[in-house]
Amino acid sequence: MIGLAQVSKTFTGKRDVVALHPLDLTIPKGEMVAIIGASGSGKSTLLNLIGGLDHPTAGVISVDGRELGSLSDDDLTRVRRDKIGFVFQFFNLLPSLSCLENVSLPLHLRGWPRQKIHDRATDLLRLVGLEKRMDHLPDELSGGERQRVAIARALSVYPPILLADEPTGNLDSAAGAGILTLIKDLHERLGTTVLMVTHDMNVARACERILQLKDGVLLSDARVESPAAS
Amino acid sequence: MKLLVLLSWPYVRKHKLRMLLTLAGIMLGVAVYVGMHTANLTIQSAFQRTVDRIAGKAQLQVSAGETGFPEDVLERVQSLREVSAAAPVIEAALATPQGTLLVLGVDMTGDSSLREYDLEGGGEDVIDDPLIFLAQPDSMIVSRQFAERSGLGRGSKLTLKTMGGQKTFIVRGVMKATGLATVFGGNLAIMDIYAAQAVFGRGRLFDRIDVGLSEGVSVRKGTAKLQSLLGPGFQVEPPQSRGAHFESMARGLTISINMASLFALLIGVFIIYNSFSIAITQRRGEIGVLRALGASRGQVRRLFLLESIVLGVAGSLLGVAAGLALARGVVPGLAATLQDVFGHAVSASEITISPPLAAFSVFIGVLASLVGGYIPAHAAARVDPVKALQKGRNQVLSEGENRLRRRAAVACIATSAALIGFGNGNAYFYPGYLLGITSLILLSPSMAMWLASVMRPVLKAVWPVEGALAADSLIQAPRRTSATVTALMLSLALAVGFAGVSRGIYASLIDWMSHTLNPDLYVSPSRSITAKTFRFPASMAGELRSMEGVEEVQPVRNARVMIGGEPVMAVSLDIGAISRRVRVKPVEGDRDEMVRLASQGKGVIISDNLSLLRNLHRGGILEIPTPRGVLKLPVLGSSVDYSDQQGSFLIDSKLFQRYWGDDTANLFRIHVKKGQSREAVREAILKRWAGSHEIFVYTNEGIREYILRLTDQWFGLTYIQLAVALVVAILGIVNTLTVSISDRRRELGVLQAVGGLRNQIRRTIWLEAVSIGVVGLVMGAAAGVVMIFFNLHMLHRDLGGLRVDFVFPYAFVALMTPVVVLCSFAAALWPAESAVRASLVESLEYE
Repeated sequence: MIGLAQVSKTFTGKRDVVALHPLDLTIPKGEMVAIIGASGSGKSTLLNLIGGLDHPTAGVISVDGRELGSLSDDDLTRVRRDKIGFVFQFFNLLPSLSCLENVSLPLHLRGWPRQKIHDRATDLLRLVGLEKRMDHLPDELSGGERQRVAIARALSVYPPILLADEPTGNLDSAAGAGILTLIKDLHERLGTTVLMVTHDMNVARACERILQLKDGVLLSDARVESPAAS
Repeated sequence: MKLLVLLSWPYVRKHKLRMLLTLAGIMLGVAVYVGMHTANLTIQSAFQRTVDRIAGKAQLQVSAGETGFPEDVLERVQSLREVSAAAPVIEAALATPQGTLLVLGVDMTGDSSLREYDLEGGGEDVIDDPLIFLAQPDSMIVSRQFAERSGLGRGSKLTLKTMGGQKTFIVRGVMKATGLATVFGGNLAIMDIYAAQAVFGRGRLFDRIDVGLSEGVSVRKGTAKLQSLLGPGFQVEPPQSRGAHFESMARGLTISINMASLFALLIGVFIIYNSFSIAITQRRGEIGVLRALGASRGQVRRLFLLESIVLGVAGSLLGVAAGLALARGVVPGLAATLQDVFGHAVSASEITISPPLAAFSVFIGVLASLVGGYIPAHAAARVDPVKALQKGRNQVLSEGENRLRRRAAVACIATSAALIGFGNGNAYFYPGYLLGITSLILLSPSMAMWLASVMRPVLKAVWPVEGALAADSLIQAPRRTSATVTALMLSLALAVGFAGVSRGIYASLIDWMSHTLNPDLYVSPSRSITAKTFRFPASMAGELRSMEGVEEVQPVRNARVMIGGEPVMAVSLDIGAISRRVRVKPVEGDRDEMVRLASQGKGVIISDNLSLLRNLHRGGILEIPTPRGVLKLPVLGSSVDYSDQQGSFLIDSKLFQRYWGDDTANLFRIHVKKGQSREAVREAILKRWAGSHEIFVYTNEGIREYILRLTDQWFGLTYIQLAVALVVAILGIVNTLTVSISDRRRELGVLQAVGGLRNQIRRTIWLEAVSIGVVGLVMGAAAGVVMIFFNLHMLHRDLGGLRVDFVFPYAFVALMTPVVVLCSFAAALWPAESAVRASLVESLEYE
């Protein structure tokens, strides 16, 4: 599903900074993977590269059989749109749009018919337990609720891959646990491949596989024998 | 100052484009102010310089308006003990391939005591023995510059168009390029006054007498003596007064320049306000840190005020330089317009740089910058260090703030209406005007938000994501957009206001022309019907009448006379004859009675604008100075007449000839017999006078086109200022968009992350820009209605007393719609590209 061959990333500037040393990685379809590591270890860089938000300095990344490096900007956007859903630590909801409009956003961008968009967005908000908050603006929601909207948005096109960057990092423990349960539940019900960057070992242990990065190097790639119930 | 270097300079370096846009806002505002005022000043001082140099040593000038006076006045002036020298003058401007040539007709026998003709080698005999000059009426002395431009030397032949057709003159002398010879851009020629009378159709009249006073006689005493000798029908004034009269004629232009400059600066203030508001929003983290580190509110306020002063100084200095360049471009057009409209030739080859004007412009530029920067600086000082890092919080304009603005606006509207409705005079009108504009400014954020809310569903229906986000950007960040929308509104209101007035004037002019200018043909001695250089002899009317196909000939003589120290146009014609063809539209008085009494010389019919400007009404007495004393005539009524911006009166030709001793004509109105070809008569007239008289025959349509073209030319000057005001407002849009993109970097990043294609991102920004344009346009059109109302009032009370109907310029607004939309779209191109090319990762992490 996701393959990385000798992928590296160096940020150039006054001083070059190697964020990711050459790395080989394969993530099969339907797996739930945690990426852990200290700040600056390269975990977000890795996630951004897989999500096509950034370009590697070297190496080849393929998502669902398509090599990202060979794609134009718009084709890359299409891959993101059709294959990948993003969940960010700071939610990144558009403040002027209602919950329903935020969830509808990727569908509108794909040019879906209005009724179909409405039905899908309503279903998803119901799925994340926010059916009563559809017309609310993000400012009117709690942190946990906002992240639920963000997850609903990420899943709006039923993408085969969900990339989550510290999805619980900005939430209290109760809300964090709720989000983790939701992601896990969706992963199981929809068969979505999940890649989740986290600092929290409890969150990591809920996944099936843990990748540990340190100073841009993949330190360990371990399978969790029996993922913790969230 | 240390903070300025430490904090402001890096910000400026980081946001070079925005700083340049802000600088451009100030620069353009100041440039319009400096440019138009310098152009006006250049023309006025060129006119004054010409007057002064031509006047030479003359301390006083005797004239009788533009009408001239009989020769015998000269002897009376010379008889005074207080007068040491008196020289008659005829002044005329002739069109030549080398530009307009100013021809002075002087009496060489007495003139050299007042003027120095510094001739080049071998020509002294001409001045030493004026009889040589007099004996040869084809003699002419020309300036060195004109001689060089025309390839002339002593003894060369110079052919000029005169009243007697093309006439060849002999150059008897060439003046050195100093003093008198440098006037009028060096295009000067001198000829004998009696020859000039014939050449320019003056009959036995002089234009004026230049007077030198005896030693020990003060100008005041000399004036008093001459005035008592000649009576109130003459003006006895120092040469400098002619400049003042010219200035007073062009007062309308000065007022429009002041108004447009004021608006350009006001628009600049909004650009500065916008820039600083944005800068403070973006730097509130920095301000928070500063405050946390112990900076006082005063220090923060001073930092931003200092920034606005520095920007103000830099922008104003650039504005002065740009203004001088603008003046250089405008002066030729302005000179041509003034010559065409008022009939006074002016030549200005060099612009007049006024250090006080430049200093004042820098001062008002800095003041505008300070005014624009004050509220944001005050807001910066009030930043709460704790809230400083909360992104987006202070973008929202609170409902309380909006309510306050709306209440203030209502108070301004009520006061403005009371001042204008119940007050009388400028002391009430102009504060009312100012309050009216202030209310529009106060209402603009609420109106902009309301319009954006109205547009949102429409935009969303067409472009569900891009449209909604574009409208939301306006609604969510009123501080960011309201100043730009206000700037755009003001510039469009200014444009709509001017367009409305110009449409109104055109409509009124066309209506006036349709019932006043009904002859088939007009015969003029000059291409310009306002020029007074040439006049036709009275005998020509008879000759015209005798021509085949001509049914009626109506001679018209018009000239400005000085009434109450200001020029008023006297229009002399056979009122009885004209009234049979023209139905005078009375504003005051009974038409038939007015015409009957005026044709008997028992009164005058004044123009509506003269009535308003001088508060003269039916039954009042108009005191008209004439060479034969003051003519006191009752005002029989007033009618709509657009002959002159400072007012005019119709006087019967018999009375005019009696009092001014002048039977010449400026114009012949000709009615062609029924069934006769107008074109054939026109051709016959041209053929009849070909070679003997310089003559121009306009058809009825031709004269109307000519008048409308002149009006176009007049408004053309205003359009330059409007264009600059619009450019300033468009810069505001670019400024707002660059900030909007910077503010919404994360939002745009999210849009791309969740699948927004580059074109969809671009479209969001384009739509936002176009929405700003449309909101500004709608508000500008609405504010334009208010502007038209005020402008018409201003026109009525200060610019010629003209009564012009309210006409909303629909066609202009329709034309402006695509212009504004396209300009707004163009303003968004670069910001949109910068948005789609920004790093996605950085955008998503942007705080």
